[in-house]
Amino acid sequence: MTAVQHKREEQVDRIAWAKSLILFGMGIYLTLLILTGNLDNYINQRFAWLAGVGALLFFALGLTSLFQSLNPRKHMHDHHHYHITWDIILVVAFPLLLAILIPSRSLGIEAVSGGVSLNPVGVAGVSRSPLDRNILDWLREFDRASTPAQFNGTAVDVVGFVYREPIHPEDGFMLARFTMSCCVADAFPIGMPIIAAAGEEYYAGDWLRVQGQLKASAFGGDFLPVVLADAIEVVDEPRQPYLYP
Amino acid sequence: MILSSFRSIGSTDRVKLIGLALLAGLLLATIAWQAQIAGRDFALVLNVFATRFLGIFVEAVPFLLLGSVTSGLIETFIRSDDIMRFLPRNRLGAAVGGAFLGLVFPVCECGVVPVARRLFSKGTPVSLGVAFLLAAPFMNPIVFASTYIAFGVGPVFIGRIVITLLVAVIVGVVIGSFAKRSATLKPIALGGAHDDHAHCDHEAPSTRVKLLAAFGIAGDEFFEMGRFLIFGSVLAALMQTLAPQESLLALGTGPVLSVVFMQILAYVLSVCSTVDSFLALAFVNTFTTGAIVSFLSFGPMVDIKSTLMFTGVFRRRIVLYLVLLPFVMNLLAGTLMNVILAYA
Repeated sequence: MTAVQHKREEQVDRIAWAKSLILFGMGIYLTLLILTGNLDNYINQRFAWLAGVGALLFFALGLTSLFQSLNPRKHMHDHHHYHITWDIILVVAFPLLLAILIPSRSLGIEAVSGGVSLNPVGVAGVSRSPLDRNILDWLREFDRASTPAQFNGTAVDVVGFVYREPIHPEDGFMLARFTMSCCVADAFPIGMPIIAAAGEEYYAGDWLRVQGQLKASAFGGDFLPVVLADAIEVVDEPRQPYLYP
Repeated sequence: MILSSFRSIGSTDRVKLIGLALLAGLLLATIAWQAQIAGRDFALVLNVFATRFLGIFVEAVPFLLLGSVTSGLIETFIRSDDIMRFLPRNRLGAAVGGAFLGLVFPVCECGVVPVARRLFSKGTPVSLGVAFLLAAPFMNPIVFASTYIAFGVGPVFIGRIVITLLVAVIVGVVIGSFAKRSATLKPIALGGAHDDHAHCDHEAPSTRVKLLAAFGIAGDEFFEMGRFLIFGSVLAALMQTLAPQESLLALGTGPVLSVVFMQILAYVLSVCSTVDSFLALAFVNTFTTGAIVSFLSFGPMVDIKSTLMFTGVFRRRIVLYLVLLPFVMNLLAGTLMNVILAYA
């Protein structure tokens, strides 16, 4: 065996180990996402089973790759179509690198960059009783209603984060949530206008639980149902930060 | 130690690694620039990018894995002869067959490319492979179900089937007829007689050995195609961090412009075909029906991710045609649909 040949074999060997490592790493990453609940930061919980399928397949491919690097002789007649090189290994390792280096977070106020929508997303499902409705449910109710005044006096109890724009009244803000149909690729911010006695005291991005009553009012240039807050409480980000249409 | 192992890497590989380092630097610089103009903290913008990227990746990667395993199984268990025997010989027939092949190999747009490449290397006609590539992400039972659940049987559901089939067959025939095989496909997808392992001289291996081989191939396939998925997801996440969908949404509701915008949105968002119907529901009130149908028929054919994956199969000129032809044809179909619905 010449020196060049030897060096090449050594390279191939190292790449084979790197492949197994990445495949197992991805399997472990998906498993950890499921176990810690961080998966909810990325995809609709309806598709959580997919991540499970992904983890299983990664482990199966990792085991195969490991087996093949441990028994190289058995695969003399290996049909190598691909020449996996270090640059490919590095690119495929990129998601793992991001996952390790950057703490897992959901999309919040800093991801809002084009304003928060007052329009609902998706089709209306079953109508829930007023106090159980979330921000998305309310926007759907408003969408269906003939007049904004229809809801005057109805009690509201919703959770979201504070979003402010210069056109909002001083004691008002939007209480916003991201909706997610599939994954964060389609995450979309929606919100309800709130007016509170000490509304200017809350910071943009704070998660709040707001209880109050609806009243059709002018807000940021629109005339629409606005929540007049009776009680506001600062809360932790919900375990499932997104609303699913 | 690291330096010495870096030296042991071949010089072309070294150039590629330096290129990658430059790309990573460019990525960070773009995010820093975005943070600067938006007056935001760099770490926060980086965090939003990471969330968007990992979200797209985590949602797409199981489908890529399923596609890779399917590709490995085709390679080890199906002989080219078997495929050829069942499929029509002439170009149009092959394209029509390819458009319906998704019903046999149910894959979405992340899984379809490795399977199509495997079919090409097994010697299937170009027209068949292209029609399969464009139609399969929609023409499969899972996506039928999700479209039906979201829209029921109506103009959107029927329009999506008709437009997808027409565009896939026509583009398949066009690309299949104007270029030679070798001018269309990259060498890796060309295959050849020596690739057909069913004709190897030694005795037929056991199912266990074949399964092992299939998973081994699937692993390589994952790396080979995964890098394009990752590049595409980085681009899609970057686009979304830089140009939010809200700004796209604010544009146009005319019969033509709305279709153009929805197709660009579909291209940029790169959402999986299995769930894009639920996403499209969000736009039903804002956009024309033709725009919704074009979003649903164009999106699964081509998006940022799949364009990059195409570059692993086709020569660069063909990739351009594969993006532009479906774009123009879907635009025509969507506009026509708007006009017909307006007068119906």
